[in-house]
Amino acid sequence: MSPDPTSRDAAVHLRVDHVTKMFGATAAVDDISFGIPRGSFATLLGPSGCGKTTTLRMIAGFYDPDKGDIILSGKRINELPAHRRGTAMVFQDYALFPHMTVKQNVAYGLRVAGVANDEREKRVGDTLQFVGLAGLGDRWPNQLSGGQQQRVAVGRALVLQPQILLLDEPLSNLDAKLRVQLRWELRSLQQRLGMTFVYVTHDQDEALSLSDWIAVMNAGKVEQAGTPWEIYYHPRTAFLADFVGAVNIVPGTVREVRGDEVVVAFGERSVTVRRPAGLALSAGREVRLCVRPEALALRPPSADPDGLRLPGVVARRAFLGDLMRYWVTVDGREWIVDQPDPGAAADFDGPVTVAVKPERIHVIAEG
Amino acid sequence: MRSLQREPGLLLALLAVIALVSVFIVYPQLRVILTPGSGYVDFLTGGSWQRPLLNSIQVVALSTTSAVILGFVFAYGMVYTDMPWKPFFRIIGILPLLSPPFVVAAAYVILFGPRGVITYGVFGQTISVFGLMGIWGVQTIAFFPFAYQLIADVLSRSDARLEQAARNLGAGPWQVFRSVTLPLSRPGLGAAVLTTSIYVLEDFGNPALIGGTFTVLPTQAYGLLSGFGDLPGATAVSSLLLALALLLYVAKIRLDGGRSFVTVSGRASSMPRPPVPVALSRACFVACLALAILIITVYGSLVVSALTKTFPTNLTFTTEHFTYITSGTNGSALQNTLVFGLVAAAFSAAFALLAGWLVQRVAFSGARVLDFLLIMPAAIPGLFFGIGYATAFNEPWLDWLDRGVLIIISMIFWNIPVGYQAAVSGLRQIDRTLDEAATSLGASSLRGFRDVLLPMLGGSLRVGFVTTFVRAVTTLSVVIFLFTPASTVATIRIYQLVNDLNFGAATAFTVADIGMAIIALSIIAVLARGRIALGAARA
Repeated sequence: MSPDPTSRDAAVHLRVDHVTKMFGATAAVDDISFGIPRGSFATLLGPSGCGKTTTLRMIAGFYDPDKGDIILSGKRINELPAHRRGTAMVFQDYALFPHMTVKQNVAYGLRVAGVANDEREKRVGDTLQFVGLAGLGDRWPNQLSGGQQQRVAVGRALVLQPQILLLDEPLSNLDAKLRVQLRWELRSLQQRLGMTFVYVTHDQDEALSLSDWIAVMNAGKVEQAGTPWEIYYHPRTAFLADFVGAVNIVPGTVREVRGDEVVVAFGERSVTVRRPAGLALSAGREVRLCVRPEALALRPPSADPDGLRLPGVVARRAFLGDLMRYWVTVDGREWIVDQPDPGAAADFDGPVTVAVKPERIHVIAEG
Repeated sequence: MRSLQREPGLLLALLAVIALVSVFIVYPQLRVILTPGSGYVDFLTGGSWQRPLLNSIQVVALSTTSAVILGFVFAYGMVYTDMPWKPFFRIIGILPLLSPPFVVAAAYVILFGPRGVITYGVFGQTISVFGLMGIWGVQTIAFFPFAYQLIADVLSRSDARLEQAARNLGAGPWQVFRSVTLPLSRPGLGAAVLTTSIYVLEDFGNPALIGGTFTVLPTQAYGLLSGFGDLPGATAVSSLLLALALLLYVAKIRLDGGRSFVTVSGRASSMPRPPVPVALSRACFVACLALAILIITVYGSLVVSALTKTFPTNLTFTTEHFTYITSGTNGSALQNTLVFGLVAAAFSAAFALLAGWLVQRVAFSGARVLDFLLIMPAAIPGLFFGIGYATAFNEPWLDWLDRGVLIIISMIFWNIPVGYQAAVSGLRQIDRTLDEAATSLGASSLRGFRDVLLPMLGGSLRVGFVTTFVRAVTTLSVVIFLFTPASTVATIRIYQLVNDLNFGAATAFTVADIGMAIIALSIIAVLARGRIALGAARA
């Protein structure tokens, strides 16, 4: 599919432009704007009620925006009926037609489009092969496992070669192991097809592992949009930092700004960290320091590691399998510290030193 | 609203539904209500309505109470006890639903009339049995099966798990019933009582046949129009009747609208109900058996009368009554009954389904109004509906319209609530994402309805069809103002023959009518592979 030359930005496949959706007096989606690059795996991430599904449903045409435009390939599609948008959707509960076989489900969109029998057969066969359901075409949906049903739902949408594929929490009804497996399948599918996916989820692991681009939504607004890396390591707000993964957030005050570096005081201590790009800071500004638990290390109290050293006491710990999570009290505040591979080392207890490299600390300045 | 602008087909379908509802539900009713005009003053001051109104209220109070008590005993026995012969009782409970209610009056005349089997034959008495007592007794027998169906439905939906839990916490059977079952199903039971009372209120056939000088509102309306040609008077009485029925119906809706704790999810609980004492089971069995014997006596006397020369004086076996009723006008009346019933049922169920889908799934302002109009006929007494059609469509410029077609149309729209509510409850069980899935795959709303929803709504369609068919072939009051000799139906002929005291032919007609309904339903059941269900006619 060649980029539409009339588009304001040919690389942007889908643009949501100052879109608002009211339900009664509350704004489910409140003046949001973003552009999704063509061929990317784009994810709307957020807690339930944040407006992510509402946004997806406006893109699909199930809801009409009260304000703003939805622009697909440079064309405003607000007035286009849902069934003419070419935005096939994969539903959370799959919404397979229970009275149609797998083959009939996948063929449905082609039948509606009036695709001739021969070609229909061929495309349905190819698609079933593609999503790994070859040989199951004559089964009924209720004879399939959850994962298989999910593949039918994806195949049913993909067979139409839609402009853009919308996925509404498609993995949330599956058990944990299968969910992770299907994640990779979806990602590789999207990469093989080079199709634009718009994916809605509340699961941050899913969002981080799948996406090229993530928009984190909260209370009807987009808090931040960018690559998973940016979202995870350089969150712009405390909400974001907290929502995407576990995090230590410590209030502090800017003491001094030195070019690309900034000195932040917290409690009795201070640390020199990198100044976030595009953030104007001056001395006296209230900020928050944000550091991921896995960026911290535990050392014996006597150790003298590089970087920042925080003497503390282990308050409690939880064995999570792949890591040991510690809560360490430092200056009356609890810090979360994750230690990988707990089987390889003895557990810490009592007094410890928490060590962190200053470059792993990120500064958040809100409001 | 916006989806309507974008899909002309959808808009067209909606406009068609609105037009049909306006012409065939709203307009005839308005005609009846507005016909008396200033005549209302004369009517109200004349006071001729006071006696029938009081009589109607009296009959409703008495017959509803007794029918509900018997219905409750029957329902309790069927749902809660492990009494024997349940399949037999189930058939006994359904049989009366398949017959016109007023045939009970015919049987009553045969058994207790001036030359009745029991009164004259056994006791040699020629006492008058017409009037209030007769109506009370007859309506009790005629309507307790309806009460039974409604109550059994409510009771069987009460959650067995809660009853098990109460037993587990130490409550005895009686305590469980009083403190768990009854409070939870009270709104449903109340609604069942009110529904039964509407049946009694609108009953025309029974009071007409055995009321004598005891006039109730439906018989007064009929008498005024057919006896005196007093259209303003008849329509005024009918409007009074409608007001009363609406009152009961609104009360019913308020009772079961949202406040019922009984689950309606259709998720049948597989847990058995806790057992009840053996003595209670036995008592229920005896009561049900007594009722069954009564029902069998009623219908048995009809069958015997149909097959003998002059029951009960000459019990020689004969088929002459059946020969008589299957020839000439009578034969075509039977044929009409079948054809009208099937055609009306098919159209009513299909139209109701489309309307149900539009109201439930398509967002448009005025959906609530349409919803109300589609349910409203459930509150309209058949006689009122019939007078409405006679008033609205007996116009010279409509002379080309075949009366049979008009009867079919009246049956279609009088029964719309049956199919409509079946459609609504069916749609509630189908997740909206299925519609959306079809839409996102490129199907228009109408296409999605056809391809995805329609195949899944077979159950609703069958309930609508079967119930409408049964109601169409058993109704007397709707058609009594609409028929012509060429378009007469079985119920009309039965009514006329009883009035002519030609009991042999009347009972033969009744047997043929019920037999026909049973055969038709059996064929439908076979075609639908047994998956048929009779909905509550006034759900």
